[in-house]
Amino acid sequence: MSVNNGTSRRAELIQFVVLSLALFVFWFILSGRTDAKHIIIGIVTAIVTSWICRPVLRLKSTTNRGEVIAAYNLPYIKLIPYIFWLLWEVVKANIDVALLVLNPKMPIEPLMVKFKKSMSNPVAHALLANSITLTPGTITVDVQDGVYTIHALTKSAALSLAPEKGEGEMPTRVGKLFNEK
Amino acid sequence: MKFVALFFLLGGFFFTTVAAIGVIRFPDFYTRLHASGKGDTLGVAMSIIGLAIYNGFNLISLKLMFIVVFIFLANPIGTHVLSRAAYRSGIKPWVRKGE
Amino acid sequence: MLDNFFVVLMVGLIFIVMLMLFRVFKGPTVFDRLNGLGVIGTDAIVILVLLGFLEKRVDMYVDIAISYAILGFISLVVIAKYLEGKGDANS
Repeated sequence: MSVNNGTSRRAELIQFVVLSLALFVFWFILSGRTDAKHIIIGIVTAIVTSWICRPVLRLKSTTNRGEVIAAYNLPYIKLIPYIFWLLWEVVKANIDVALLVLNPKMPIEPLMVKFKKSMSNPVAHALLANSITLTPGTITVDVQDGVYTIHALTKSAALSLAPEKGEGEMPTRVGKLFNEK
Repeated sequence: MKFVALFFLLGGFFFTTVAAIGVIRFPDFYTRLHASGKGDTLGVAMSIIGLAIYNGFNLISLKLMFIVVFIFLANPIGTHVLSRAAYRSGIKPWVRKGE
Repeated sequence: MLDNFFVVLMVGLIFIVMLMLFRVFKGPTVFDRLNGLGVIGTDAIVILVLLGFLEKRVDMYVDIAISYAILGFISLVVIAKYLEGKGDANS
């Protein structure tokens, strides 16, 4: 796949530099040394790694064939309140599961549900699948062409994610995050 | 500060224990994944945050926080990969009998 | 001051690992065994860091814990990908 117009080549260069810098900072945190030998090895490693990883960061759109989306193109600022909301949901999910596990009668009735959410960015799909796994009573089993197969521990958990009409709270939030309907 | 660390460590240990009990008690594979995928993520993350608070602010705490971020990203992916492999191999979910 | 508490915590975590070994040996399907192994892997990270605090060598044990976490995750994904669609020989 060749990219021949000038602006996307420029964007790719910026992405390359940013990725190299991020990898170098990561190296610096892990090594914790400041002498010349370690820093030079770190710079070389970061550049080689980000050069090899270039094709991995060009993601294919899941709805529109042939369109290319850059992996670093995320709504970083809108992501911060979402992460805090998600952390709170994770704590609630764990208390739910703890109550179910420690209950001697174990009132569970597992079921599978499917719902569809079409988004073009693969990162959005990954984020939604991860969030579903971390929140109360549901895990993602399969994602194919935007159709999510969910295994739910209780009926109310399944309904909160995929109600009879409309869509649940979490898919709406992720959709808003990535500006998709 | 020590007491905050203690609180986080105890909470983390509680959720890890709950995850283990869930993995032993639940009736089939998918429900066991519920216990391990949620309980373990929060349990280990809380334990390591507690240790980082106990350690104070330095490079080691930064590395510990990196472990926390990695766990939060990687553990749900591991759960999802396992459940998808099981689903595509045709393992049926357990349902409550007599309804 | 918290050292004795760390020892208690470590013994508890090792007990959890023993419980998970029960699931690994018994588990009816191969995916149950893998799930148990994954839980052991994540708990081992905490055990390693606690061991570092007890031995006063946290700087070394943290690096070991990071590489253990990454290796455990990658091996879990690779084994699950390998078993995908192959079914289960035991059941």
